[in-house]
Amino acid sequence: MRRYEVMVILDPSLDERTVSPSLEQFLGVVRNDGGSVEKVDVWGKRRLAYDIAKNAEGIYAVIDLTATPATVKELDRQLNLTEAVLRTKVLRPEVH
Amino acid sequence: MPPRPRHASPRRFANPLHGVDHVDYKDVRLLRTFISDRGKIRSRRVTRVTARQQRLIARAIKNAREMALLPYPSQAPGIPRGKDRD
Repeated sequence: MRRYEVMVILDPSLDERTVSPSLEQFLGVVRNDGGSVEKVDVWGKRRLAYDIAKNAEGIYAVIDLTATPATVKELDRQLNLTEAVLRTKVLRPEVH
Repeated sequence: MPPRPRHASPRRFANPLHGVDHVDYKDVRLLRTFISDRGKIRSRRVTRVTARQQRLIARAIKNAREMALLPYPSQAPGIPRGKDRD
């Protein structure tokens, strides 16, 4: 098990109140595989330094979690399959 | 005439990292102090940080760029390439 930090940029047209619940749905995969989610920090809408998929803004969220490498990989895969997810980044805070 | 000391000019940037061994890519305000107005990463000659710190800064800036927190270097229109030294 390792600690990970996952940053997600979501489509700005989403309702910000629905962001947390819909992220929780994705995080189910972490909990089912024996991992734990320490923190979900939704930054809210933020201006992007450059357009991503023709969007000038994005909803940022940072998730701290503990899981196995395979679980995080699956989480990242599932996030990126979703249209509403513009971009993701998975980092290990210990080594970065 | 005595020789001038090699680093007589005052530092352009005070080093805000005092023995820091971790640079967070989410700390946009800090990282902005290490990029030029074009978005280029400032050289060690300018930043005066240690080699290790410069690597940490560079990596953090590149991660921040990927997440659109910082811009990629851009060429200002009307200025020929190669004339920009910062």
